[in-house]
Amino acid sequence: MAVDHPLSPDEELTCGRLLSQVWDQALNPAPAEDPHTMTCPSCHEAIASLAALKAATRALRGQAPTYLQSLAHGVMNIVRSEARLGRLLPLADPVLDLRIAESAAAKVLRQAADNVPGVRAAACRLAPADNSDAADGVAVALTLAASLDRPLPERTDEVRRAVIHAAERTIGLHVTAVDITVIEALDPPHTPDPPSPGSAPPETRDGRPRHG
Amino acid sequence: MNERTDSAPQSDLPDGVLTVRAAEGDDDAFAVLIHRHSQPLYTLAYYMIGNAQDAEEAVQDAFVSAWRRLPDYRHDSEFRTWIYRITVNRCLTMRRRGRPAIPLEAVPEPATDDGWDSPARAAEQKAAAAALACALGNLEGGQRLCWVLRELQGLSYKEIAHVTHASEPTVRGRLFRARLSLKEAMAPWR
Repeated sequence: MAVDHPLSPDEELTCGRLLSQVWDQALNPAPAEDPHTMTCPSCHEAIASLAALKAATRALRGQAPTYLQSLAHGVMNIVRSEARLGRLLPLADPVLDLRIAESAAAKVLRQAADNVPGVRAAACRLAPADNSDAADGVAVALTLAASLDRPLPERTDEVRRAVIHAAERTIGLHVTAVDITVIEALDPPHTPDPPSPGSAPPETRDGRPRHG
Repeated sequence: MNERTDSAPQSDLPDGVLTVRAAEGDDDAFAVLIHRHSQPLYTLAYYMIGNAQDAEEAVQDAFVSAWRRLPDYRHDSEFRTWIYRITVNRCLTMRRRGRPAIPLEAVPEPATDDGWDSPARAAEQKAAAAALACALGNLEGGQRLCWVLRELQGLSYKEIAHVTHASEPTVRGRLFRARLSLKEAMAPWR
């Protein structure tokens, strides 16, 4: 009734199904029942023989040992003590020779990009535009995941404006170029409420951020 | 620097984007990855090592190691598979240091009361889960690891093969033998 496969042992039921397949189906039932399993006596027999293990497995899944929040805190304490600052970039104030860490500036610029609907920033690298003169500012290279419900040039222009605005107004960093690469398609932005007659649209569609 | 009031949260970002950010030094992105993956990793470590304190230490070490290695992370595997692999390696190292590898609960007996009221059923389920945890502790380490990854955490055969440095047929073989042993151990609970 059962045979071993030479490379990976498994039981082949008389109906031709593998025991591992029947077990997977029994433990993680698909939304639509498999018509074969519903009527096959050998599958029924196999499932019945695994009933106790199946029930205990499901119970064990529901009783995962709980970890303490101190685990995450402990890791983050070490992570923050080993901060990776990246290079130091010149602010648009050559007299005082102020600088900002690349990682800190990147965080602000990613958030600016994220605030454009349908866009999430991934990589954000900043490099001095000209090493010989701090006042020349920095070039930004950004990779994005973006939804495709609007033309990409329109959306990336909006990201470019948001990034330059954040760099110059929030940080005080002069930006010479924003190089954008879209690396992944996102689902269209979530619309919180379905439109109903007489209600205002949830957000403007003219390229402005949701909260200017 | 607080011009924005409601920046888009990172908690809904896919692992791939968070990993890129973390590799560039974004510790907030890394915190989201920790929050997302700690529970399954801790469960895995608990069943591999057998006690809460060492399991917590193993997962902490794995995340710290991941943070340090992120700048060199090549994205040729999913973050989840990568961090599982680091955690498994960490647990194996700790086990080699001679710590006990068996969950320590006593073997519970099946309840003799076969009533159908829900408190009795809940108690029965809890006892069956404890019996299964105990049976897991008696499995050979490789079988236990594969079984936890597959049946408690839902990894694919391919992912398990990558995490455990084994071929997919080897993984399937270990799962087959694990299921056979656990089925026998749970026979009194039918």
